[in-house]
Amino acid sequence: MFGKKWGVLLLTLCVALFAAGCGQKDEGSNASSSAGGDKAGEKVTIKFMHLWPEGVSAGQNKIVNQIINDYQKEHPNVTIKQEVLDNEQYKNKLKVLSASNELPDVGVTWAAGFLKPYVEGNLFAPVDDLLSGELKDKFVAGTTEAYAIDGKTYALPLEFNIAPIYYNKAIFKKYNLEVPQTYEQFKAVSKTLSDNGVAPIALGNKDRWTGSLWYMYLADRIAGQKALADAIAGSGSFKDPGLVQAAKEVQSLVDSNAFIKGFNGLSNEEGKSEFLNGKAAMYLMGTWELPNYTTNEEIPKEFRDNVGFFKFPTVEGGKGNIDSWVGGPGVGLFVSQNSEVKEEAKAFVEYFVTKWGEQSVTGAGVIPATKVDTSSLDLPQLYIDLFNEMNKASSITLFADVQMPANAAETHLNNIQALFGKAVSPEQFSEEHDKAIAKGN
Amino acid sequence: MTSEALLPPARQMSPKSKTGKKIGYGVLYIVLTAVAALQLLPLVWLFFFSLKNNQEVFNLPPLSLPTHFRWENYEKVWSAGNISVYFLNSVWITIAASALTIMLGSLATFAMTRMKWKGSSLVLGLFMVAMMIPVHSTLIPLFSMFNKAGLNDNPLSLILSYVAFNMPITIMIMLGFYYALPREVEEAGVMDGCSVNRLFFRIVLPMTSSVIATTGIINMIYNWNEFIFVNTFISSDSYKTLTVGVQNFIGQYTTDWGSIGATLMISILPILVMFLFLSDRIVEGIAAGSVKG
Amino acid sequence: MDKVMSNKKMIALYVLPALLLILAIVYIPIVLTAYYGLNEWNGIGRMKFVGLDNYAELLGDRTFWNSAWHSLLLAVFSCASLLVYLAIAMVLAARIKGANLFRKIYLIPMLLSSVAIAQLWLRIYHPSNGIVNSVLESLGFANPPAWLSEPKLVLFALFVPILWQYAGFYILIYYAALKNIPSSLEEAAKIDGANSWQIAWKIKLPLAMEVIKVTIVLAAVGSLKYFDLIYVMTDGGPNGSSEVMASYMYHTAFRAYDFGYGSAIGFFLLVICLVVTWIIRKLTATKDTIQYS
Repeated sequence: MFGKKWGVLLLTLCVALFAAGCGQKDEGSNASSSAGGDKAGEKVTIKFMHLWPEGVSAGQNKIVNQIINDYQKEHPNVTIKQEVLDNEQYKNKLKVLSASNELPDVGVTWAAGFLKPYVEGNLFAPVDDLLSGELKDKFVAGTTEAYAIDGKTYALPLEFNIAPIYYNKAIFKKYNLEVPQTYEQFKAVSKTLSDNGVAPIALGNKDRWTGSLWYMYLADRIAGQKALADAIAGSGSFKDPGLVQAAKEVQSLVDSNAFIKGFNGLSNEEGKSEFLNGKAAMYLMGTWELPNYTTNEEIPKEFRDNVGFFKFPTVEGGKGNIDSWVGGPGVGLFVSQNSEVKEEAKAFVEYFVTKWGEQSVTGAGVIPATKVDTSSLDLPQLYIDLFNEMNKASSITLFADVQMPANAAETHLNNIQALFGKAVSPEQFSEEHDKAIAKGN
Repeated sequence: MTSEALLPPARQMSPKSKTGKKIGYGVLYIVLTAVAALQLLPLVWLFFFSLKNNQEVFNLPPLSLPTHFRWENYEKVWSAGNISVYFLNSVWITIAASALTIMLGSLATFAMTRMKWKGSSLVLGLFMVAMMIPVHSTLIPLFSMFNKAGLNDNPLSLILSYVAFNMPITIMIMLGFYYALPREVEEAGVMDGCSVNRLFFRIVLPMTSSVIATTGIINMIYNWNEFIFVNTFISSDSYKTLTVGVQNFIGQYTTDWGSIGATLMISILPILVMFLFLSDRIVEGIAAGSVKG
Repeated sequence: MDKVMSNKKMIALYVLPALLLILAIVYIPIVLTAYYGLNEWNGIGRMKFVGLDNYAELLGDRTFWNSAWHSLLLAVFSCASLLVYLAIAMVLAARIKGANLFRKIYLIPMLLSSVAIAQLWLRIYHPSNGIVNSVLESLGFANPPAWLSEPKLVLFALFVPILWQYAGFYILIYYAALKNIPSSLEEAAKIDGANSWQIAWKIKLPLAMEVIKVTIVLAAVGSLKYFDLIYVMTDGGPNGSSEVMASYMYHTAFRAYDFGYGSAIGFFLLVICLVVTWIIRKLTATKDTIQYS
């Protein structure tokens, strides 16, 4: 009995000792963080969590800080407190925070499947009022819809991407290859390249979504956009003959050595480096890669000048059309439903999205989800060409892992890796997908 | 148990076995040095890595020199702000947590192994089980606990977690050493009329200096490199530690590997220096304390 | 003697600080994890109590048992490699010249964070310009495997860096344990004419036995909940062929938003650790502990 008291006492003492040490530090940081606004209006602090660290996403980080500074100047009562994490850690922290209902006032989210549980848990606030205000008609058609559930929009997109196949013009020239228009031509190109000891396609399929792009395009080109959309929505089936055919085509590409060696054990970054160093001729990836082929000084100029792109070729007898793309909005901004400064947070988001749209292409090479007047900007040709393609697009299918709910997305991604690794048959692949989609989470 | 009982009578060594012994030693040293070289390679690799850019990181063989030494990676890391704050936080949090773990761990181990009470094996079992939970299972409950206790975004949450999660392994390692201490130690101490406190602090603790150094080093390494708790419990930049400095170079679509190498290189130096040069002093210090005490 | 050493007040004072801390920081999450495991919960919305459904599902989950098998394999390899570490430590502790320096160099990989180690080994295993395949190619192997993308090889390819990473840790512990043996014992044995082999085998090894037993448990438990390098290097792939229990738990809870099921995995992992530890304790049990005398 006695002993327990002593123990508790000692523990409390230890704790108190350290708490005292920390308490001191606390005061210091509070003083500095609230020193910003001292003019009219009730002082509010908006917590903002994002994933653009200064070190590597210098462009984005600069824009973010610029926007925050401007906003604080215009609204002296508002302080924006940033927290920056990397992609993976960001997602983990968001999850932990939401379990305790402690989300930041404003944060970054992904579309559709990622967003859904947060909306169902009533953690994200609808932002439809912003869409009818200053931002009305500012967004590229189809982008905000990816963030809508049951008719309400829960985040505003910041990025918009489509995925072309980039190719190395120098390699194509060396082997007298033409940009393929049809899938047969594409296979012939791959064969010529691999016969000559050049890896046709760079792929890092450890990350899995990278391989998913290939399946998505083949599914779209063979079975058509509708069959794929229906299968993912659960109203159709992945056993659709076209979709099974697409899975078969993936494995026949693997069999013909179209992808670089060991692709299933390489990360996207490692896979990409094979394209960047000229060992692989083609690379299917989103438009977020554009800076690497235009403005990034770290990559040799002669390489950048030699990168072109082509649209995923059509398949003979397939239902897809060449102007149908896989892509969609990337990250968007949400406002926390339980935020104590919800209105201020929404006003900040509105401001942020507008300013971001004006600066992101030129400042960070990121194509925003808001409309861009390309004529007024001095952009590299590759950007202009892709902007034109976006305007011509007949449809844009959202990345499968973004579209599906988290659990189904995991199944999809795992099966993609297994399909590429030939650990499942196309039929099993379809079966697993239907099962996961039917489970509905 | 006495040594006489165990050992056979002495034998005379022949000259032949002496040269054999020499050769044996030679081979032994070659093996030891080869292993040492193998263990040193990662440090050399990391150094080269930190002087490359992404292109060179991916295209050159791991142990090749970069075409051009990119010291700017280090500049970038230093100028990317906050690294000095992170550094100081790492130092004081690591030291505080490690010291507390060792202190509390030694006390508990002493009581569990050398004192007589019912339930000591049960308590020991509790410590052991505490080692078996995967860290990711604890994040959500711990966060909500710290949140309720008002310890969110407070370095105290880190220190408490580090101490608690390293306590089991610390006690486990100490256990073997404490069991092996001769009974006579306490007997003599108690005969002389020592109190338990005196016995522990003046006699037993100094005798365990080698395990204190060992667990101390292990604790420091763990705390120094920990990042999951920092990311989860801390949101203010002013409380974050060096390990999150790496995050500064992991982007949404790209990662700046050279700078990550430079950050890792900077963060390994203090612990390396501490380990190579200071650890012996600490052991000596603890051992010397016993003589003076 | 007994009176002093069974003073309840002192025992409580010594044990409680550490005990209360782990009860609060480690046990509450353990209990909550077990409880979450009884629910269907995505970590965000409301929990739905489903009783033992998750655990029942787990028993029939092939992915889980595969991952458990992988973890168990790692545990077996880790325990087996302890013999090598012990041998090295015994050589170093045999008062050879430079032992202290060797010991320190051997620990260096341990000082590096897992991020760095993982990057190093990713380069070593790179299918086209990695060290392993470059060496194999220069030796005349035409088409060496891509180590991390071959389902049959990947697990063993991952064990190498994991075992290597922890070498220094165990050598450090063994070295300290062997050095802790009073040199008077050794001197006495030498005078009796024992050679160094006999000293090692008959004196040092028995006295370090308690520490060795502890390290077996540490290696087993540490392997069963191992996560770091696997997560970075293969993320459990390809096709789940390097998935271990902790990575499966992480994927389920944090990627697939199935926190209820993930918690069940986490708790089951703990139960498996307990069973394994119990078996090890039974297997290594000796009637009495040996002390220095």
